[in-house]
Amino acid sequence: MQQAAADHEPDLKRGEFRGNAREYFGIWIVNILLTILTIGVYSAWAKVRRNRYFYGNSYVDSHSFDYHARGLQILIGRVIVIAYIVIYNIVLTISPIAGIVLGLLMLLLLPWIVMRSLRFNARITSYRNIRFDFTGKTWGAFVAIIGGGLVSFLSIGILAPFASRWLYRYIFNNLRYGDRRFESDPRLGALYRVWLPAFIIFLVGAAIAAGLGALAIFSIAGSDMGGDNEIQLILAMYGVLIPTLVIFAVSGIFYRVGVRNVVMNATVFDGRHRLFSDLGRRRYFWIVLSNFVISVITLGLMRPWAAVREHRYTIEHSGILVDGPLDDVISSIERSGSAAAAEYLDIEGFDFGF
Amino acid sequence: MASDIRMIARGFWHPPGSSRAIPATLSGTGKTLFVSADGDSRDPLTMNDLIKVDISARIGSIPRRITFADGSMFETADNDAVDHWVRNHRRGGFVHELERFHPRLAVVVVGIILLAFGIYRYAVPAMVEIAVLVTPPAVTQWMASGTLLSLDQAVFSETELSLEKQQEILDGFAAVAAVSGRGPEGYNVNFRKGGAIGPNAFALPDGTLVITDELIALADGDMDMIIGVLAHEIGHVEREHSLRQLYRAAGTAGLIMLIAGDIGTAGEDILTNGAALVALSHSREAEHEADRISVELMHRAGRDPAAIGRFFEVIEAEFGLEGDSSFLSTHPGTAERRQAIADYASELKSSGAP
Repeated sequence: MQQAAADHEPDLKRGEFRGNAREYFGIWIVNILLTILTIGVYSAWAKVRRNRYFYGNSYVDSHSFDYHARGLQILIGRVIVIAYIVIYNIVLTISPIAGIVLGLLMLLLLPWIVMRSLRFNARITSYRNIRFDFTGKTWGAFVAIIGGGLVSFLSIGILAPFASRWLYRYIFNNLRYGDRRFESDPRLGALYRVWLPAFIIFLVGAAIAAGLGALAIFSIAGSDMGGDNEIQLILAMYGVLIPTLVIFAVSGIFYRVGVRNVVMNATVFDGRHRLFSDLGRRRYFWIVLSNFVISVITLGLMRPWAAVREHRYTIEHSGILVDGPLDDVISSIERSGSAAAAEYLDIEGFDFGF
Repeated sequence: MASDIRMIARGFWHPPGSSRAIPATLSGTGKTLFVSADGDSRDPLTMNDLIKVDISARIGSIPRRITFADGSMFETADNDAVDHWVRNHRRGGFVHELERFHPRLAVVVVGIILLAFGIYRYAVPAMVEIAVLVTPPAVTQWMASGTLLSLDQAVFSETELSLEKQQEILDGFAAVAAVSGRGPEGYNVNFRKGGAIGPNAFALPDGTLVITDELIALADGDMDMIIGVLAHEIGHVEREHSLRQLYRAAGTAGLIMLIAGDIGTAGEDILTNGAALVALSHSREAEHEADRISVELMHRAGRDPAAIGRFFEVIEAEFGLEGDSSFLSTHPGTAERRQAIADYASELKSSGAP
């Protein structure tokens, strides 16, 4: 943003995370205990408590966010998803044709589900007593999800920045805070600048994985022990699969973090306040990697510490460049009436974390 | 009445549908809560009976939110004061009490470890048995044809075996399959040139068997050996070993997901795949079981029951492999297997009738 010299400088308000690992440990371990004891039913309430902890400790301008979903809403959503999977499997065995139809129906429904899920997630989030909202339509989701997904898949990832651009324009241009709008127009050039390193990592990694895979297959040929080596075959597949997964994860992290920075820095709230993100790609990758290693070594007991660490880094490297007094935003929202009091009857759609 | 009014906590008050924050005080008298602006205690900003307000559940030390019927919201960091007042008027938060960082959390940790072990040891195997029972044949057929197709594309090429030789093996196999549970119609033997995987044979869950030219060459005309190996594969099919392994891996992965809760994306993939690998260690038992079935079937069909043992001898001589079974090896040591096979074969012979 270029400002005239006489004009005020935008005031950067960085996020702040006030949670700590010790406190979250208790919440996390009790969530697990109750989830096991209730054979998974409590997981819906566990999600609410976890999210309320993280939202409630994420502060911008000394106010925190809040998460309003109810355990029952989430449970109903999950029951529907599980029921669909069960019915789908039963139908598939009775009549494969009908099963395939049901599967295709699911694919067609996907944009609608994504749209509902974005809306649900926006509406259960509030800041300073005002809820967010999402006004996107199914067709927009269809173009962004199916169209973008196809384009980036068919081009082996080369056109992925286009897909990212469509997706985030769909998400941010339909996001509302009270009656204020967000607008986002990430530049393709900027997206390609963050895409290139990720793609190079992917290419180099893929070459290494192919080498490892070839090695694994030859080592089986040399170490044949029994008449049936179905198991060793599986091991060989793992020899290729695990490195491939790791490469996807690594280049995925680099790309996602880069895209987040580009998209947030290209997003304007209420026509003048610019969002801000300056996550370090290598730093973030180091956090994810070391978190994973530490979690595994401690049999998962350090997972709460790792989650808090990752969250803190993300929040503290996000913020908003406030242009003009923030009170203006607040009072204009006040005049425009309430979006907060409404108790939304939405249920959780397809949760990506599920 | 003024004497009954007790100040509860200080914080901020947001007017209905507004993000404006007014420094305010929460007070209570009897079962009525009211909020007054700091410095002006006579005129309450809002008031409600306790039944009509929503007090957010306590989670860690995130700000407490008290929402009034008019949509306004009072926010305070003084959780203890709110708890103290709430406790005198209605039930407090049991879950939060459990979540507090306290020595008793150690009991929760130990309890979860015991529970997880119990589920892994008893509940997962039980679920696996049920899942195997209810899996319809259509699913195993679909799995098998998919596997064979991808192997044909990736590894195998067409057999170079003469048709007479093929027919000879098929006839010998049919006689052994006739005394098995499924009968000859339950199996479909395929000949392939093994390529990278060399001398090999394996079974797919629907009864599709594959044997490589290299293995047949290795047998060097010992027809009992070839049939013995195929009988071993019948054992895998009849006991549904591959299905069991698949379900066990899925069950273990599910258990990890349940416990880990929010384990993070990359971590989840790697941990659950690791669990699948560990589940493969069960296959040692499966190999022993298949060996025994081979001995039994060969005995009943009037062929040499110890023939499969000779196969391991050849393998050992050819590849010079020796070693005891360990946790990570999926196949038991060949010496151990040969001994078990020889023992069982002589036991069957001495017992007389087939």
